[in-house]
Amino acid sequence: MNQQRAQQASPFESDRRNFLKLTAMAAATSVASSTAFGSSAFGETAFGADSTDATEAGASDVRWDKAPCRFCGTGCHVQVGVREGKVVAIAGDPLAEVNKGLLCMKGYHVGLALYGKDRLTQPLLRVDGELQPISWERAIQIAAEKIHAAPERFAFYGSGQWTIPEGYAAQKFMKGGLGNNHIDPNARLCMASAVTGFIATYGVDEPAGCYDDLDQCDVLITWGNNPAEMHPVLYSRVVDRRSRGETVEIIDISTRRTRTTEHAQRHLVFRPHSDLAIANGIAHLLIANGNYDEEFVNKHCAFRAPSDPPTLPGRPISFDEYKGFVAEYTPEHVEKISGVPADEIRYLAALFGRRDVKITSLWCMGMNQHTQGTAINCLVHGIHLLSGHFGRAGDAPTSLTGQPSACGTVREVGTLAHALPGGRVVMNSEHRAQSEQIWNVPAGRISPMPGFHTVAMWDSFCTPLADGGKLDTLWVQVTNPGQTLPNLHKLFNRKEGLEDKFLIVSEVYPTATTALADLVFPSAMWVEKNGMFGNSERRTQQWFKQVEPPGDARDDVWQTIAVAHRLHELGVPGMKDKDGRFLFREEDSGGKEVPIWEWEHYYDLNVDERLFEEYRKFTRLKHKDLAPYSEYVKTRGLRWPVVQSDAGEWRETRFRFVEEQDPYVAKGKGIDFYHSPTHDGRAQVWFSPYVDPPESPDEAYPFWLCTGRVIEHWHTGTMTRRIPQLDRAMPRAYVELHRADAEALGVTSGDVVVIESRRGRIELPAWIDGRGQPPRGSVFVPFFDESKLINEVTLDAYDPFSKQPDYKKCAVSVRKLVKP
Amino acid sequence: MSGDEGFSRRDLFRRLGARGKEVARARLEPVIPVRPVAPAKNIEPRTRHRVVPLHRPPGALDEEAFLAACTKCGDCASACPHGAIVPAPARFGPAGLTPTIIPMASACQMCPDTPCITSCEPRALRIEQPLRMAEARIQPWACLAHQGTFCSVCVERCPVPGAMELVDGKPIIDASICTGCGVCQYVCPAPENAILLMPLTARPTASPSS
Ligand code: SF4
Ligand code: SF4
Ligand code: SF4
Repeated sequence: MNQQRAQQASPFESDRRNFLKLTAMAAATSVASSTAFGSSAFGETAFGADSTDATEAGASDVRWDKAPCRFCGTGCHVQVGVREGKVVAIAGDPLAEVNKGLLCMKGYHVGLALYGKDRLTQPLLRVDGELQPISWERAIQIAAEKIHAAPERFAFYGSGQWTIPEGYAAQKFMKGGLGNNHIDPNARLCMASAVTGFIATYGVDEPAGCYDDLDQCDVLITWGNNPAEMHPVLYSRVVDRRSRGETVEIIDISTRRTRTTEHAQRHLVFRPHSDLAIANGIAHLLIANGNYDEEFVNKHCAFRAPSDPPTLPGRPISFDEYKGFVAEYTPEHVEKISGVPADEIRYLAALFGRRDVKITSLWCMGMNQHTQGTAINCLVHGIHLLSGHFGRAGDAPTSLTGQPSACGTVREVGTLAHALPGGRVVMNSEHRAQSEQIWNVPAGRISPMPGFHTVAMWDSFCTPLADGGKLDTLWVQVTNPGQTLPNLHKLFNRKEGLEDKFLIVSEVYPTATTALADLVFPSAMWVEKNGMFGNSERRTQQWFKQVEPPGDARDDVWQTIAVAHRLHELGVPGMKDKDGRFLFREEDSGGKEVPIWEWEHYYDLNVDERLFEEYRKFTRLKHKDLAPYSEYVKTRGLRWPVVQSDAGEWRETRFRFVEEQDPYVAKGKGIDFYHSPTHDGRAQVWFSPYVDPPESPDEAYPFWLCTGRVIEHWHTGTMTRRIPQLDRAMPRAYVELHRADAEALGVTSGDVVVIESRRGRIELPAWIDGRGQPPRGSVFVPFFDESKLINEVTLDAYDPFSKQPDYKKCAVSVRKLVKP
Repeated sequence: MSGDEGFSRRDLFRRLGARGKEVARARLEPVIPVRPVAPAKNIEPRTRHRVVPLHRPPGALDEEAFLAACTKCGDCASACPHGAIVPAPARFGPAGLTPTIIPMASACQMCPDTPCITSCEPRALRIEQPLRMAEARIQPWACLAHQGTFCSVCVERCPVPGAMELVDGKPIIDASICTGCGVCQYVCPAPENAILLMPLTARPTASPSS
């Protein structure tokens, strides 16, 4: 793989301090930045290195290479400095278009995520209640035997942190090998509603725009979104425009005041769930005032409404019907539902009614973790389409993802219970046949029945077989469901003590999930393995293994292939292709099979590259063309569709469906929704009514609870809480309360309060007038803290189409803890 | 900001974050390179050559008076509930084994009841002294917020009301209010810690009576 390694210019030729000033903080998390906790002054460095500042030592013995940041869906690129087999420095990559050298506080410390003291370094098996070290040989054997015993009762649970090859290997193993569709990712919990929203609107998943819209828009609307904390580098990209003298108006539509609000000119606080009313209110005024984009609508749009019974495609309606449906949402009516002043709705509608401003909408979990998630996604696309704020740089409805490869792996490789790679679905016989052909497996191998989606999967796994549970062995890779599933008592904790259930977990650190695992595989992470991610803007990124994993930790792809091969040895027919060869057969240049299931031979060839090249064959159908692996080695990612020009160059696409940008839009078309659900080039403008949330505050549980992340920690904090600087910056979870509510409850900051729902209770210190400020009657709790599992309190109600649960609202009671 | 707000904020993060004694075991070295401190106006001229600028517990007398009064008994260190007070290395000569604070290991949390001061029998620490230990400065070149990426941790965690403020998303220290407790340095997540803390050796000492 080394000869393929791109030549990387070290960004540290100039004097360090000058460099810091010049490139906006492209600082290295140096080995021993003089004040870091593990600094020389304290005799121990988290990196275990000496006190030499690697970046100042002329970098002669430090080898630099690129990698995307391990954490969020923004997809910043970092430069990784390696010396003597250890990551010793991290710098923002000035050549990366996404972040231009800037990182957020997590990114600067990403290297330390590898070096927590309690890395898992050997396979573990639960014996008499205790996890005991065992050999890899035995571990693989046990896993294979469990799966072999009842392949139809086996499920695979992964995530949007699976690299593309990891997700692809798991997908092929399950659907192409075992003929079992019980594979789903945690991304079900984070972006499934965005997917259904895109599909219902454009007939094809993923945003048409990209981050360039953020540089061009005149107005940025954040819908229930807090990019200042969750996608910090992206928000910096917007806010930074102001320091260059550009104007960008930011309108924050949210259910609490956040760090994002501080940079916004307008803040609209709405009652949880009522975003549907706001969007409908804008649509109504656009039509009533006659300033919707009639030409755009006539040329490119059709109208839809929910069908009875509800289906994802809904039913077609006329413009007049649509007009009639939204007519009810007058500004005054919207104010009544949402609490947002009618004039603010008028202001928004007037903005959308203007052709001379460019408007970008951003959203993430606020709209996705929503029992009406698909509907609100469609409505926001709808007002952009209705007003023609689409397809110009800066005019875009853009959903963000939280995970680094939620798009690249989950959405594109299709590691979902109903999906096949490249936008295919198991229900479609042609799609199955195409997949069987690429995988060279017998016709009929792939089951036409969608498997269990996340909530159903865990519910079934936690239900004894005798009581109707359908799953008995579950393998988790690259995620921590023991902390992230909603309603944990029901969907996870119940597993404890169930004799007939076997939980396999591939992990890098002990987590809430390994706490109930029966078998633990120690995994290599991030630059300890080759990998590829796909970020929120359709950008596929690649990196090479740069250091060895600790102890016996091994790549997740290897684990999947090793178990597959053991099943092959056990005679499982699904592990053979049509020609009787191993499903994951790889050959050297001489045509000789390379035993990649043996760890000693796994890196004899670049398995990532082989899997990726195979996967590429799937990507044409939905025009999500990917370039050859070698192109990604050379770049900091490329946005698909990446199509080769006549001159042989691979060209990325910034704006889809737009002539001259998207190679699949014919000349003269202007805009072409070429995957239109109605097959006529039209996008669907949806109407969906406001409906009440499944649970609202009442007398017994009078507060709204909202959960989310904080800037310091990524997801469940498995990695970031082991980084001393981040742990110190945000050590524990808390609950944000409105001052007036706190006063009424007799609570001041630091007092412990009890949050209780119908499902669970939790004790947390209160934070009043802190970083975020919920309105009266609302509280906010971050979910990163393993010792404070807020998901024991949340609700597991989910969107009917995306099956994504709603973590953003449920009813709780709040009271001061009275010590006995 | 009201006083009660500051206290309550401190309580919050004391509960959230105090790592206390567990981190105070760190090997001792001065965090800030030794540099001469210019005598302030209301301070008597130095009689001794130069003092090691150690970060003293709150309420310490002017460095010379402090060194004269401190018996190195360690009572203040035992009294500190956060394990923030540790003895200076013996090789520091006359300052060796005197109480000092290394904020990067465990910062002074500005306890409202100042147990360290109460415990000091020889009155080398005094409640009537201004509770100033050091001067904190933000180094904008290192601060995440000043460099255009989001951070507000120091402002949120500063235990002294009014000492820090977020202006346009960036932290600003009010030197007249900051006590130099070092909490901001302890929590700063910048790749190069952005808080420079300069221990005050020249502290305005009231009349050295009693
Ligand atoms: S914004 Fe996201 S991708 Fe960028 S440095 Fe921060 S965590 Fe990493
Ligand atoms: S600014 Fe820093 S040193 Fe000063 S009082 Fe606040 S936390 Fe303490
Ligand atoms: S904690 Fe450090 S990086 Fe963050 S705002 Fe304060 S000084 Fe800047």
